[in-house]
Amino acid sequence: MLKIEHLTKVYDTGVQALDDVSFEIPDGQFVVIIGLSGSGKSTLLRCINRLIDPTEGRIIWNGLDITAATEEDLRQIRRRIGMIFQQFNLIKRSSVITNVLAGRLGYTNPAWSLVNHFSKVDYQEALAKLDRVGIRDKAYVRADELSGGQQQRVGIARALMQDPELMLADEPVASLDPATSHSVMKYLELLNREDGITILCSLHFLSLARTYADRIIALKDGRLEFDGLPDEIDDARFRAIYGEDAVRVEIA
Amino acid sequence: MNDKPASSRSVLRRIVILVGVLVGIVVYAIGWQVTDISLEETQDPTRQEVMQRALRELFAPDIFAQERESIVTSANIMLGCQEGQTVEQPERTEHYVIITPDCGQRGDVISVEGFGFEPDSDVFLRWVPPTGQKRPLVRADIDGEGHFLTQIEVPGIRGDAGQTHQIEAEGSWPVGLPRLSQTTLLVLEKIVETIFLALMATTIAVPIAVLLSFFSARNLMRQIRTPLGTALIGFVLVPVGGWLGSLLLMPVVQLGLTWGKGLALGLIGAVAGIAAYGLVARYANALDLPTGHFQFHLRRVGMNLLLLVVFVFVFGAVAGICVWLGEQLQEGILGYLGNFLGTLGLLLELVAGAVAWLAGALLAATIGMEFSRDWLRHLAEPASSVLGAVLGALGGALLLALMAAIANQAALLGILPPFIAATLAMQLVGMIYKRWVSRGRPQAGRAHATARLILSWVAAVIVFALTYAFLDTGRSLIDGRLPAATVWDLGLVSIQTFTAKAMLIGAVLGGLGGFLAGTQSSFPLGMALYNTSRTILNALRAVEPLIMGIVFVIWVGIGPFAGVLALTLHSIAALGKLYSEQTENIDPGPLEAIQATGATWLQTVVYAVIPQIVPPYIAFTMYRWDINVRMSTIIGFVGGGGIGFLLQQQINLLRYKDAGVAVLAIAIVVSILDYASASIRERIV
Repeated sequence: MLKIEHLTKVYDTGVQALDDVSFEIPDGQFVVIIGLSGSGKSTLLRCINRLIDPTEGRIIWNGLDITAATEEDLRQIRRRIGMIFQQFNLIKRSSVITNVLAGRLGYTNPAWSLVNHFSKVDYQEALAKLDRVGIRDKAYVRADELSGGQQQRVGIARALMQDPELMLADEPVASLDPATSHSVMKYLELLNREDGITILCSLHFLSLARTYADRIIALKDGRLEFDGLPDEIDDARFRAIYGEDAVRVEIA
Repeated sequence: MNDKPASSRSVLRRIVILVGVLVGIVVYAIGWQVTDISLEETQDPTRQEVMQRALRELFAPDIFAQERESIVTSANIMLGCQEGQTVEQPERTEHYVIITPDCGQRGDVISVEGFGFEPDSDVFLRWVPPTGQKRPLVRADIDGEGHFLTQIEVPGIRGDAGQTHQIEAEGSWPVGLPRLSQTTLLVLEKIVETIFLALMATTIAVPIAVLLSFFSARNLMRQIRTPLGTALIGFVLVPVGGWLGSLLLMPVVQLGLTWGKGLALGLIGAVAGIAAYGLVARYANALDLPTGHFQFHLRRVGMNLLLLVVFVFVFGAVAGICVWLGEQLQEGILGYLGNFLGTLGLLLELVAGAVAWLAGALLAATIGMEFSRDWLRHLAEPASSVLGAVLGALGGALLLALMAAIANQAALLGILPPFIAATLAMQLVGMIYKRWVSRGRPQAGRAHATARLILSWVAAVIVFALTYAFLDTGRSLIDGRLPAATVWDLGLVSIQTFTAKAMLIGAVLGGLGGFLAGTQSSFPLGMALYNTSRTILNALRAVEPLIMGIVFVIWVGIGPFAGVLALTLHSIAALGKLYSEQTENIDPGPLEAIQATGATWLQTVVYAVIPQIVPPYIAFTMYRWDINVRMSTIIGFVGGGGIGFLLQQQINLLRYKDAGVAVLAIAIVVSILDYASASIRERIV
């Protein structure tokens, strides 16, 4: 269970990215966050694993207060929260397998990992995760030689190495073409259905959100605009979220 | 705002441009005058001639030398022509000289013709008076038939009319194969020295610069924050730990040294130590201890303690083994290796004390921070402020004591205590403002930020002035004298009054800050390190390498070693800056991704930062080597060894032909390095 209470984030520049956002996510839900660019989606996701420190409010996850965690506790929390990114954020010059193994860093002995040493179990696990996302044959290729869709699948494999209970996905398909987008979203759906991983995914397109989400949360100017089932978003709600001039774009 | 008509704006714009151009011309004209640009000198014919000669010699480098064979023959000439008198000429051999006419006086033009010389070589003519003091005349070319004809003017020679003088012709020509001249050999030796000098300076600088560059990269350091109380406890424990390190760890280093010098024991000890650490680490890491638990911290502290003890022992052992190897390898072809290892061993032995001190300080600081972090978190408000005040006072006093110690070294450094005090005051006021004025109004934004900045500066200036007066900084800065050595006797200990006063200021500022902030407030430890490291780098970079060269020549004597030291120091500053800028420019995405996996800061650096910076770091290192080769020629001018030293001697002796060889050698080496660094850069970036 993830509980967000009165979450507010004001950046040093004075920009208010989040304004008193509260909601709860029960385990195993596939939640999609929608909203315009700059509506606070990325900030919200990054507050959850404290890549960004919130200004006010609390985030409780499985009874642990993430916002008050010490550095030590925070690392323990972070390793159970996987994250994938719009720009994939792979280490481009390293091999795919090294990228996937990096997901294990929170668990390994720091001294060994500094010389790039991982246990045999970790290696097998990494290959298994790559197998799962269908690119085991690319394990020893440099990450930047893969296509966008393949890179995002490496990102998923890396997050899976963390053995996560919660997966944060920050616009995971915004840099991909429609067909690849669906394949990546299908992997996320699979993780949600088969492994029971809670998924919190931000998306631009409402149509994609409708296809995959159990529940949709909409942000507008940092405030919670909508929280409910995908079917509840009618034209009026759509305009409230995206603005009066918005036109629906369907993604096949 | 923009309600002015477009036309008036454009007129204004034009005027601004016009004024800009006028100002530019004026600046340029002043520059012209200041730099003394004068065309008269350049057109002076004698200067032109001298320059031409110098350039010709520079462009005729004495690269090759060749054996020459020569023949000398001469003909007689009578000074002053007298009717009816003929001049006796020597018997003609296969090569001979004819002078027509065979008499003449000063200023007469006579022709000298020669036969039977080596075809296509050249001949040198000299005037030989009876006294035997030869005087050079001209050089002439010999044609394909071994014949030459040239006109000469009879020089002003002391002598009576009717006296017989001689004109000597020395024909010479190269024989055998050309070989490298003495100059070239010397230049080659020196250019090799230069390349190695640059290589040593660059490679020694790289590890230090890499380390400093991480501390000087804002994007890496910004995230490192720690509760103020924890940071202060760590800082206060540094000298305590250092003292303990000197006391307790130094014997371990000494043991390693002694054992290492006997080789076997040192090797066994080092391997055993590392193996023991590995085993304990394996066992300890297998234990699943909850974070925040006392045993969790105990494990970490214990592991750190063991690691450092093993480290200092291995350090001593390595130094000892190097010394041993140096002694064994003195003779034979491996002599240079022995010399290297021996000196390295001595160097390590020399810094052993510092290593023990640092290890102790590091250990004490980490232990203090480790245990205080959780404990301080549960401290309530009044206690937190009081403890903050105590720790702040201690920390501030320590910081200012350190600055006072530095200020005691040189007059100019007297600026440090008031400067640091002012910086503290600035932070203090910023903090007060944030806490009481703009509190709870994060959106209040720009006006508050400006007010805070102005107030901080005002406080800084006031505190600077007060400290300046209290510590009598004028004595250092204006009179150029070191702080007074008067001592303040406290019975058990005595302390320099200057240091005590500085500590008092530090304690007041630190105590106030600590009280206001409390132990829980977040202290930007990373940014503090960042600013310190940046300041050191900037100060180092501002010092001309030439000055460093002079200082090191005074310290270690004329020679390439001084050059290596000077260039190393300068390279650390230059590379540290270049590297840190590269590190700041990396893609932040991977950094974020690795952090999100629960990695530690060090793991994040190794996995997300290093892969991104390796190519530019290598490229910059090559570039630095290239620059160091060029710079070593300059360092050589002040005695730093290498080719610059040779070039300076050649120029001072006006031997431009030799200097030409050196210049050519530098040009070739620099272009090769330039090309190599460019192609390596292309391949790996």
